[in-house]
Amino acid sequence: MKDIFSKLIEDAAVLVLYLDQNGNIVLCNKKTQGTVGLNSAEIVGKNWLSILFKNDDNTIKREMFKAVLDDALTYRRTKDFECHLKSSQGDSRLISWNVTPILDKHERIQGSLLLGHDITESQEGKNSLKNIDDSLKNIISSIDEYALYVINLDSLITYFGMGCEKMFGYSKPEIIFKHASILHSSNKAVLELEAILKHVHQFGKYESEINLLTNAGSTIPVRLTVNNFLDAQGKLTGYVFIAKDITRTKKLEYQIFQAEKLAALGQLSAGIAHEINNPLFVISGRLVMLKGEKLASKFAETIDLIDSQVNRIRKLVDRVLKFARKSALTLEPVDINEIIELALPLALYNNLPSVEVKIEKIFEKNIPKISGDLDQLQEVFLNIIINAYQSMPEGGVIKITTSNFQNRYALIQITDTGMGIPETNLKNIFMPFFSTKGQGTGLGLSICHNIIKNHNGSIELESRINQGTTFTVKLPFA
Amino acid sequence: MLYKILVVDDEPPVRDLLEDLFKKEDCVPVTCGSGEEALALLKKETFDVVLLDIKLSGISGLDVLKDIREKYSDLPVVMITGFGFDEELIGKSKQFGCCGYIGKNMPVAEIIVTFKKFVKEAKERTRV
Repeated sequence: MKDIFSKLIEDAAVLVLYLDQNGNIVLCNKKTQGTVGLNSAEIVGKNWLSILFKNDDNTIKREMFKAVLDDALTYRRTKDFECHLKSSQGDSRLISWNVTPILDKHERIQGSLLLGHDITESQEGKNSLKNIDDSLKNIISSIDEYALYVINLDSLITYFGMGCEKMFGYSKPEIIFKHASILHSSNKAVLELEAILKHVHQFGKYESEINLLTNAGSTIPVRLTVNNFLDAQGKLTGYVFIAKDITRTKKLEYQIFQAEKLAALGQLSAGIAHEINNPLFVISGRLVMLKGEKLASKFAETIDLIDSQVNRIRKLVDRVLKFARKSALTLEPVDINEIIELALPLALYNNLPSVEVKIEKIFEKNIPKISGDLDQLQEVFLNIIINAYQSMPEGGVIKITTSNFQNRYALIQITDTGMGIPETNLKNIFMPFFSTKGQGTGLGLSICHNIIKNHNGSIELESRINQGTTFTVKLPFA
Repeated sequence: MLYKILVVDDEPPVRDLLEDLFKKEDCVPVTCGSGEEALALLKKETFDVVLLDIKLSGISGLDVLKDIREKYSDLPVVMITGFGFDEELIGKSKQFGCCGYIGKNMPVAEIIVTFKKFVKEAKERTRV
């Protein structure tokens, strides 16, 4: 019988340690030996703490465990304790200990029994679950592009959850129990909401891209999903709305669409321009030859007129080709401040309105050079500056600032105090042949756009009616 | 006679115009409409210069240029195109050994002056 017990203890899947009254180890099983990395001979007779914390100099842990044993012995009761043990290989195991005093029949302490369960794996599992939970919470709270709210059967908002306050700009108290149509933008807000709910009734779900309305009165494009909200008995109590802000996606989609459109237009224009250039060459060549003949004056006048009109077409075709062309860049390290200094005087040669325009230059010194085509970049800034002049028929200020943006880009901003560009025109501003000036071909800014794009940079603008326009150009450092 | 010029362009009105323009400049133009014809003509006759359109049906102007460079190393070739000053085309033309590049979008008088200048420079180089 005793042998069986010995064998059971020896092979037990738990750490078993028997200590004498002085805390020296009398017995330890295989599991203990394996965990601390010592054999029985090395362990027996040694102080228990010196063995268990052989590879660990954490005295606090050691003292705590000692206190637990003292407590168990003093009060003659079983105590639990959890601590990490370091093996001689350096890996750490988490052990849940059970400390029991062993008493003789006179209730005198004989020693103590320590049983240890290795709970490393199960604890890791728990930890990772907790981590997932934590990170889910983090993720959800960091997705500010989402808003979740619930309405009841009377369409009153009963829950205004995460992301809602940020997206819509209402605080919870001010919107709870308001009619949900308050978040709909169209003038038929109530009808729109009713149509959505009707859809959910019919199909169990609604999903679409629509515009919702913020407290500030602006609309945000969202992908809206609406589902039935059921109680525990499966009874319909309301609807759950999840809105994803798709402003950024929309903007990206638009940019890609624009870029593709421009590329297609470029190809088309190059083809057309080539086809026009040939007959145009023949017409203007024949005109030149006619001019050399002796003609009656009325014919000569007509021919001059035709010639000037042909010239007009030729110049237009030149501009189109320039827009369409994937002209190779002559790259060299260029200083952005220098390019603007070179472009400024050129602007004055361009039939600018003779009004008082003040130029303010705020140039950051020592901006790293960019790798660019001097002539082409000069054309870009020349174009923007001329536009700025032309937008201020009564004069004003052109402010040009350059700076180092995040050590990655040269940032150039050109702001005028002109008439500004109406929002409806903004989206077309870089399109070829788009012009509001009456004069000009409407190719200037589309050429600028292409040049900046070829430099892997970006060009954007912001404009306010009667306040002015700011062009922002970013060009990557060499 | 100033120069005997081989004019290669696949559009008859363009060819005819160039022919008339060069005649006025006291040159002798010979015209043809394709690269194949041009190479055949070069075998039979000698020219002072070739004016070669880039966009041709059949062998492209650039390929004709390459061919001429291999067979007639001293013969100046001026490229002409309706594409205007396309840097990619200019780059390739130079790489294949043309002595000049003209856009049909230039004013006509300028085209003639530029053409003569290119030929003169090329002739001077070969003389040296």
